[in-house]
Amino acid sequence: MSGWPGASIRVRLTAWYTAVFALMLIVYAAATFLAVRHEFREQLEDQRPDAPEAGAEERVEQQLREIAVVLVLGVPLIVLLAGAGGYVLARRALAPINQLGIEARRITADRLHQRLAAANAKDEIGRLTAVINDTLARLEASFDQLRRFTADASHELRTPLSVIRGIGEMTLRDTRTPAEYKDAMGSMLEEVDRLTRLVDTLLQLSRGEAGTVPLSREAVDLGQLTRDVVASLGILAEERQQRLTIDAGDRLCVSADRLVLRDAIANVVDNAIKYSPTGSTIAVRVDRNGDRATVSVTDEGPGIPPEHRERIFDRFYRIDEGRSRELGGTGLGLAIARWAVESNGGRISVDGTTGRGSVFRVVLPLARSGT
Amino acid sequence: MRILVVEDERKLAQVLSSALEAEHYEVTVAASGEDGFFRANAEAFDVVVLDLMLPGRSGLEVLQTLRQRRIETPVLILTARDSIDDRVRGLDLGADDYLVKPFAIAELLARIRALLRRGRPSEVLRLKAADLELDLVARRVIRGDRLLELTGREFDLLEYLLRHQGHLVSREMLARDVWKEPRRATPIDNVIDVQMTRLRRKVDADGTARLIHTVRGVGFVLQEGEP
Repeated sequence: MSGWPGASIRVRLTAWYTAVFALMLIVYAAATFLAVRHEFREQLEDQRPDAPEAGAEERVEQQLREIAVVLVLGVPLIVLLAGAGGYVLARRALAPINQLGIEARRITADRLHQRLAAANAKDEIGRLTAVINDTLARLEASFDQLRRFTADASHELRTPLSVIRGIGEMTLRDTRTPAEYKDAMGSMLEEVDRLTRLVDTLLQLSRGEAGTVPLSREAVDLGQLTRDVVASLGILAEERQQRLTIDAGDRLCVSADRLVLRDAIANVVDNAIKYSPTGSTIAVRVDRNGDRATVSVTDEGPGIPPEHRERIFDRFYRIDEGRSRELGGTGLGLAIARWAVESNGGRISVDGTTGRGSVFRVVLPLARSGT
Repeated sequence: MRILVVEDERKLAQVLSSALEAEHYEVTVAASGEDGFFRANAEAFDVVVLDLMLPGRSGLEVLQTLRQRRIETPVLILTARDSIDDRVRGLDLGADDYLVKPFAIAELLARIRALLRRGRPSEVLRLKAADLELDLVARRVIRGDRLLELTGREFDLLEYLLRHQGHLVSREMLARDVWKEPRRATPIDNVIDVQMTRLRRKVDADGTARLIHTVRGVGFVLQEGEP
């Protein structure tokens, strides 16, 4: 069939069908003719011994010729009719595909919510339609995510920008004391710092997702790494009179990029400190489960309602917008954590009970040689 | 000390030259790669600050040609692309240090001081400011007649501030140099602030003149008198 790359499926289908049909018909006709001739000749020989009839042989030959003519003329006619029928049938069978094409063409980036309809969901076309619809649904989901991200990102970037602008305009309005100018400038610089951090982190995330960040692989003692993070961030818990405990036993080696993994754990622990009430306890544990190592961070904070659990790892997703901003979060900490864990072959998840705290878990496969 | 700034962005060049002049360096600005190369080739500078994205001849080409001609002036490159390739290429071609835009002026000044100091023995074993004295060997700090009890991190932090005495130190510099945390995605700024508050409580206890100052939006500075 690949002989005619330009011809439509319908033409190719008809041609093949007709060719096969014609061949079979010719074989059938030839066989019939040969069988008839054989039969006639036998009859002729049966008669011959008693009374050989003059001219009988010619008559038989004549009849055979007539039969041959009928067959030779009839076969092309039947083939032609069958071809025409096949063409019509092929067209009917393929019509839903054409329809599918026309419908699919109407679906553009802004109309991704539309789906293709199938007359019969069970047949081949129906299954094809279902596959296309699935693809459309996935596309729609990622388009939505992208759109939401772009909107969120511009919102996050715009906030510091409007603060900078506001401070600038307000300060220029009147003549002020040097101290006031200094204060205004400092406040603008704080916002610039926030913008810089935001852009840096976004860049890192998008590079990470595009897979252009080269990750190093080395054996990292997860227990030691977690102890380091806790030691480094412990001072923040102290300030809030929180108890930050660490329970990490023997060496548990995972194969990972140390700096990236450190980011992940630091962000999760920092998050727990930020959102837990003063005086509460945050427990960090490093355990081994079979061929995996788990870092769990349990806090006594407000917990995360189940409907938010999937999305808190999304960029800029916040449960309580005002509060999170007030605490100085960029809204990217957990997104960084997820990327960092997943790019090292692990998983990050959260559960717990609303109102009674959350448990964040980072699960990583153990390095093959390490124990 | 003479510094050549090769930067085509007019506003940035202006900011850089006034910041450097404020530190009493003699500054020459070149607005294109050709001009920069010509000046660096013809005159003697102590440091060249070189932007990589220049019209005409790119910063990397300028750097390469300078090094081929055996002009060994220390070069600090400025790049907006913080891809590792770019930095590595710059350093391979003979740059001495790099900064990624947007950078803090405080950090640029610190890097330039480091380049100018290079090759000179800087091993001072005692750092001093007013009546504060830090003994690097004994790891002991005395303010007036008071012996200060500092944790390891507080000591390192104070040492860093004393080494940059009178100059602004940004949180980014502290994160990288004291906490050894090169990544901005790590939540370390709050840690720095808390640590600094504690250090200040010990160093600038009641009744003593303040030495550690916060400069809003920029960072910290250790000096006598208000910044």
